[in-house]
Amino acid sequence: MIRILREFEGGVRLFFHVAMRAGALRRPAMRESFLRQVYFTGVTAATGVVLRASAVGALIIAFTINVLDADVELAVKILLWVVLREVGPLAAALVVILRTGTAVASELAMMRISGQTEALRHLGIDPYDYLVIPRVIGVMLATAALTLYIQFLAVLGGMVLSPFMIQATFDELSNRFFELVTPVDLYYSIIKSLLFGFAIMNVCCYHGLNPPGLTPNAVPQAVTRAVTQSAMVVLVLNAVFAYLVFGVLFFGLVTARV
Amino acid sequence: MQAASATPALALRYSRKRDGRDEVAVSASASSVHHIRLPDRDAKTRFIDAVLDARCGRDEVLELLGEDVAHLKPAARRRLRRRVGVLTSAVPLISNLNVWENISLPAAYHGTPPLGPIAEAARQALAAFDTDPERLLARLPDELGPFERKLVEFTRLLVSAPELAVFDALGDTLDSADHARVARFEAEYLARQSAGTLIYVDLPERGA
Repeated sequence: MIRILREFEGGVRLFFHVAMRAGALRRPAMRESFLRQVYFTGVTAATGVVLRASAVGALIIAFTINVLDADVELAVKILLWVVLREVGPLAAALVVILRTGTAVASELAMMRISGQTEALRHLGIDPYDYLVIPRVIGVMLATAALTLYIQFLAVLGGMVLSPFMIQATFDELSNRFFELVTPVDLYYSIIKSLLFGFAIMNVCCYHGLNPPGLTPNAVPQAVTRAVTQSAMVVLVLNAVFAYLVFGVLFFGLVTARV
Repeated sequence: MQAASATPALALRYSRKRDGRDEVAVSASASSVHHIRLPDRDAKTRFIDAVLDARCGRDEVLELLGEDVAHLKPAARRRLRRRVGVLTSAVPLISNLNVWENISLPAAYHGTPPLGPIAEAARQALAAFDTDPERLLARLPDELGPFERKLVEFTRLLVSAPELAVFDALGDTLDSADHARVARFEAEYLARQSAGTLIYVDLPERGA
């Protein structure tokens, strides 16, 4: 229980540190680190998701029409609701946790164990500034970009591949899609993915910088905690976000026209 | 009338008490080279930590470049700390940055001075030890041998132009051939910081 409270407090402190010190990103060394993080999280992950994202879109349309016996309109609506609003940000978050989250947690834990974070402090460099801020902000932006990319591929893949599985043409599907989609769908998913990116990096940086011990054995433990907790935080955030947006607070504001 | 900035007579004064008596008491006059032998590893670690942080415990007294560190404000402590360079295994290279990034990191982080002169100074320092600077600057710390690591750490110290340099157990982890090479660090430092103070910190020799 005490550990949970300590981790929660650490996460909150990290949140405020990033919020208060984000301006430090103007420093050349931090800008460099930020760009590296964006490249690693956004660009190098992009090629790996092409096939999977395209297949998700096609499967959703084919599944909806075949199993639910839906027409093209309902299939496209479900593609919109599921892919744009839910699967896109969640799939991007999953990719970020598995690739970047593990890398960051293990890298920071190794740095902590080998005395490199202390070395930074001795060089007059705040480890939280230099190690956390570029990673958190870089991953936030990269997660949003990756979400848009996955959404685009899933929708396009769904429209291109579905005609091979169901009785619907690409034109029919795309016309219905552009009739139904609204900018709010995109804003919703972008805000959510920014939050996901922030939460994932906050958790991973915290566990990386606070491994359970100062021996190499602590690295896998730090990574395991970082991955399980960031996945949990993403799911909780998703549920809270969905409740706020589709629930009582803004009911009707962003629901698709039926 | 403008006050002249006098060079302090003592570059460093450190003492640690135990049971009301000085257990360790060392001092080093400015613009000279000193060899300090501390009684044991614990004393050495505490001394190096105090210098690295420009901060000391209740049982310690530390003056660096004429300033008593006990009552310094954080900004003054940071300014003082930048005038002191410590070459020690407690400040290793950052493993995910290449040699150039390691050398330039403090300047790149603080935004000053411009990196051009630092690059030139780093190349000169590395070339003075018969290495190919361009090849070395592009390598990661894990690809370096013990002497090359030490050389890069020394170059990182050198480009920050410290008025006081502390070399902690310089020869440890090096073989006898490399001992002769690191001995040239002193001449290289004094060539660039003619008014600088250099302090070697070691433990007593075995059997002494």
